Amino acid sequence: MFPYILLTAGFLFAVGVLGVLIRRNPLVVFMSIELMLNAVNLVLVGYSSYLNSEEGQIFAFMVIVVAAAEVVVGLGLLTRVFRIGRELDVDDLDEMQQ
Amino acid sequence: MSMIAGLPLATATPGGGDLVGLLPEVIVAVGFVALMLMDLVVPPSRRSWLAGATAAVLAGAFAMSVWGWFDAGPAGRTVYFGAVAYDRLSAFVNCVVLVSSLVTVMISPGYLNRRGLHHGEYYALLLAATVGMMLLDAATSLMVIFLAIELLSISLYILSGFARDEERSQEAAIKYLLLGSFASAFMLFGMALVYGETGHTQLAQIALAMSHPGPLDPLLVGGVILMFVGFAFKVSAAPFHFWTPDVYQGAPVAVTTFMSVATKVAAFAVLIRVFDDAFASYYAHWSSVVIAVAIISMVVGNLAALTQTSVKRMLAYSGIAQAGYILIGVAVGVAVPLGVQGALYYLAAYAVTNIGAFAVVTVMSGHGEDLDSYDHLRGLWFRRPYVAAALGFFLLSLGGFPVTAGFFGKFLVFAAAIAAHNVALAIWGIGTSAVSIFYYLRVALLMFQRREEGEEQPYAWPRTSLLGGGAVAATAAGTLILGTAVPLLLTVVQLAQAGTLPGAT
Repeated sequence: MFPYILLTAGFLFAVGVLGVLIRRNPLVVFMSIELMLNAVNLVLVGYSSYLNSEEGQIFAFMVIVVAAAEVVVGLGLLTRVFRIGRELDVDDLDEMQQ
Repeated sequence: MSMIAGLPLATATPGGGDLVGLLPEVIVAVGFVALMLMDLVVPPSRRSWLAGATAAVLAGAFAMSVWGWFDAGPAGRTVYFGAVAYDRLSAFVNCVVLVSSLVTVMISPGYLNRRGLHHGEYYALLLAATVGMMLLDAATSLMVIFLAIELLSISLYILSGFARDEERSQEAAIKYLLLGSFASAFMLFGMALVYGETGHTQLAQIALAMSHPGPLDPLLVGGVILMFVGFAFKVSAAPFHFWTPDVYQGAPVAVTTFMSVATKVAAFAVLIRVFDDAFASYYAHWSSVVIAVAIISMVVGNLAALTQTSVKRMLAYSGIAQAGYILIGVAVGVAVPLGVQGALYYLAAYAVTNIGAFAVVTVMSGHGEDLDSYDHLRGLWFRRPYVAAALGFFLLSLGGFPVTAGFFGKFLVFAAAIAAHNVALAIWGIGTSAVSIFYYLRVALLMFQRREEGEEQPYAWPRTSLLGGGAVAATAAGTLILGTAVPLLLTVVQLAQAGTLPGAT
């Protein structure tokens, strides 16, 4: 049973990485990062039940809390960029490379 | 559910001894909350009071850290059930972080007023980031490392976007946030694997589990490498550096001053604690990766810095190269103690020098946009001779000239590489720092160029305030002291290095 949990988590993580690398909308990039973090949570909880140690579960809770805090700041910043009048596309964020 | 219910009740509760070990962090954390509340009652015209309160908090925490250095003793101990170290490494790095923070507070009010960005939450966020850094250098548990990194990162994401109406600043913040969380996810995946394969989240127990001989565990090696990727991002080592130039350029320069130095110092402290101590028995598996990243950082950072025409981007690429030099010390630190000592020396030298260089840019940034283009520095010597001389001195130190702090930092890490029989690594370092002299001198000489008859002054440099000038003078004095009174700091880093992982006996 346990190897399948790891494999599923690895697959979810890979999907998240691909999403960050190929999607252009920052909101979708955000969702992909959340997917990566949840893959990590799956690994933590999986190991926790496999090893019968509670540390992994506590760790997973911390990851959830921090992910929420990150999203709050991220959405705030995205709103700000949108107000300044930009399209929401990460490829357009190149003001300093011109 | 049954598993949780079946847990034995925790019988031990944290006591006063635990609190003493965390006192500097607690002072800054309480200061952070107090500053947020003070912002509500202090009138906008009196915002400089907030800077004064912040400086007082930082000075208090600094005094406690110095006291903690002596109180913790040579071996140190862990507090809060092994989650946080109370030892000389954390006391030393705390002091470096707090001084960086204090210098930033000194140059901030003038700069923020000129740019019209003087909002109260700036100081609260600065303190929040400082707490994160202090916790990071003391963390001895994977969970605390993760929480501390996120605390400092999220505060810095907001600070990077502090110029709310400026496109560049917002862009810098978004980039930092997206790439930062991406790197955090990799580091977390690594932590989850390390936890799973060793069964522990505390570094001392992980070190014990890893030292048992047995068949090689590929998942554990993968976890260690993924954790290194996360840390390499935080110290902006190539090839994980893509965010650095854009974020350093886009963020308000006072924020860049702080994050270019303090983040790197704290992240290197935890890198030393985790890799040179906890993961020491897996040295053979991670050292080649660290050496490769060190060489790539030195080459990429120095070559890219050559072609820049923006002061902030040049300093960003120079910071990437400096991260490479410090990584040399980390890479050989398990084999020779001089590696870790050299890295710590380099960190202190880099902190005081780089914060000085950025402080000059901050102090000279006037109304409108930040001083940024190389052109903006032309002829600075004839108008602001003291500031120009200080910047020249900092650039010489970054380039590693003798009698400056940078020289002995480089000398020690190269000596460590040679002592570890890795002469090639030292040669890479010496070769790339020879290249770096070109771009540092180019900027230094620019300040002595006279402008032509009738040519407009390239940039309206503001008058130097007492505090700003004091900050520049203090960092210049620090660079000179670390470059001449070498035995002093060398003794300190030797003592700091003595016990980097308390409780791991």
